[in-house]
Amino acid sequence: MKNNPTYLLFVLGLLLCLLLFILNLSIGSVHIPFGEIAGRLVGKPLPKTSWETILIEYRFPKALTAILAGISLSVSGLQMQTFFRNPLAGPYVLGISSGAGLGVAILLMASSAFGWVLYQGSLGVWPIIFAASLGAILVLLLMSLTAWKVKDSMTLLIVGLMFGAAVSALISVLAYFSEAEQLKLFTIWSMGSLGGSSYAQLSGFSLALLLGSIPMLYMLKSYNAMLMGEAYAESMGINISRLRWGMIISTGILAGSATAFCGPIAFIGIAVPHMARLVFKTADHRILLPGSALAGAIILLFCDAVSQLPGSAQTLPINAVTSLVGAPMVIWLILRRNFSKEF
Amino acid sequence: MAGNPTILTALNLTLGYKKGKQANAIAENIEFELKKGKLTCLLGPNGVGKSTLIKTIMGQLPPLKGQVCLEGKPVQKYNLREISKKIAVVLTDKIRMGTLSVRQLVELGRIPHTGWLGSLSPADKSKVENAIQATNIQYLADRSLSELSDGQLQKVMIARALAQDGEILLLDEPTAHLDLVNRLEIMHLLKTIARKENKAILITTHDLEIAIDTADEFWLMPCGSPLITGLPEDLIIQQKLDVLLPSQYMHFDKDTGKIKSKADLPNIVIEGPVSLKKWLELALVKNNILKLPENQFISIKTSPFELILHNNGNSTKFSNIKNFLDYLKQESV
Repeated sequence: MKNNPTYLLFVLGLLLCLLLFILNLSIGSVHIPFGEIAGRLVGKPLPKTSWETILIEYRFPKALTAILAGISLSVSGLQMQTFFRNPLAGPYVLGISSGAGLGVAILLMASSAFGWVLYQGSLGVWPIIFAASLGAILVLLLMSLTAWKVKDSMTLLIVGLMFGAAVSALISVLAYFSEAEQLKLFTIWSMGSLGGSSYAQLSGFSLALLLGSIPMLYMLKSYNAMLMGEAYAESMGINISRLRWGMIISTGILAGSATAFCGPIAFIGIAVPHMARLVFKTADHRILLPGSALAGAIILLFCDAVSQLPGSAQTLPINAVTSLVGAPMVIWLILRRNFSKEF
Repeated sequence: MAGNPTILTALNLTLGYKKGKQANAIAENIEFELKKGKLTCLLGPNGVGKSTLIKTIMGQLPPLKGQVCLEGKPVQKYNLREISKKIAVVLTDKIRMGTLSVRQLVELGRIPHTGWLGSLSPADKSKVENAIQATNIQYLADRSLSELSDGQLQKVMIARALAQDGEILLLDEPTAHLDLVNRLEIMHLLKTIARKENKAILITTHDLEIAIDTADEFWLMPCGSPLITGLPEDLIIQQKLDVLLPSQYMHFDKDTGKIKSKADLPNIVIEGPVSLKKWLELALVKNNILKLPENQFISIKTSPFELILHNNGNSTKFSNIKNFLDYLKQESV
């Protein structure tokens, strides 16, 4: 398996990732020259102290968040697609982002609907992360209950989509009764944001990524067996119900934490695993897992760089950029090779 | 070969599904012995429980009564991984992923034997190569699965099962959807594998004629009565194959080795060589012409082929059977 092209692709990918990381640190409302940042990374001090603050307090956490979120979403999307044997499955098919959305919607908008005051801006972003996590965990628990009762994966997938739809409807109801100010806050959250992470949040996010990856790492071989479907996997000694639980827990933690820290980020989870398959030309999860993780980090860093609107102080919502950059990219990849044969 | 040791046995087995407290038995009183080095064919009508039997043997479905014993120990006492080292399967699901090459698919067969990462040791690799060679698919090894024909894919699936290296191979309708040449090829391949690698191979099939030509043993699974096992030739002579057929319409003809309709043979005098007479009779039976008016009879002449209908001294000639049938139909109107 360790042939040269794969090895080379990983080295190239890592270099590209590093390049985009530095680019991300460089651009923004205040431009910091590329060379200065490269110098700072190897230990040379920056000429302006304000640059140092911007770099350390804002841009560095933001770029790290992009990498973490890119990895989390891609890896959970890869698991979903293989487990459900469905090319359109993504990290959100089990209703996780809708659940997180509901948590945030209740926090931000229920006050006007019910007359409560739940959220004051003074608390910062922690309450939002907390609410999103609670919502995601709630949906995850419901899904686990379903998975416990239902043995069929297709049923699980449909139930997940239905949960998502029902929860989205609840959010719409809340939005309908909320005031303009609060609605705007929620809308902005739902557009996703990579900024605003402190180092405390970053360490929480990293821990979640680590925990969430363990089940997938542990079951890499089972995912390879799943390429042939459940019946064959079982005939090769794979415990399907253990795999299902591992998948739910892993994607729950990964996609749940990414949504909690950055809001729902579209496209990455569905598209990146396909790109990894096309680029690495393999179905082997021992390559696809690191491959998707790397590709996810690269794509999200790139999208973040684009969202900075070079030369302007404005930033676009990350969700819009991931879709705008990603959709044409995927269409191109699909048209280049016969996509229907990949699955 | 030192005999054919039995590897799998069942005594007094009842198959079926449990729904809540209700047990839904599909087949009862099943007894069999599966032997190494032999190709065994399981034949039976759709819905009689062949797939249920396969699932029970694989340990995925507990029997309602009795036990399937693998090397003397009930299958239920093994865990999934232990079974996967003994039994490999080829199912009816089609695997067509374009990102998977033939070799990679065959390598997946080694999953029960590898560590958590699934890395292949040199021993694993040589098993994979052996499986590829045994199924004669060396020339396909680096192709993508989406480029294969159905027949090639089936051989690849057999190679994967071989690489899994169990003593037992179960194949669920391996020849369905294949053309005649591929069906023969697959069955002969399986027979060779059973002999050379000393595997116990059990396949379900509806392909009676090819099964008779290749199988060492038949298991007949009729609706609602116990499994009948034995040498195909013995079962034919004992007229046991009729249990597979709806007995009021059809029977298995010992002389031709074919399934024949039980309809009466036409009561018509036909003179001519037997080899041609038989086809004329078949055409008459199919068109439900069982009698001719009195004093009429048919003679067949060869080179050139000619049918002559004799009617009280008059004779009408036909160059083929179709014209003859058309003529008879017109006459009867």
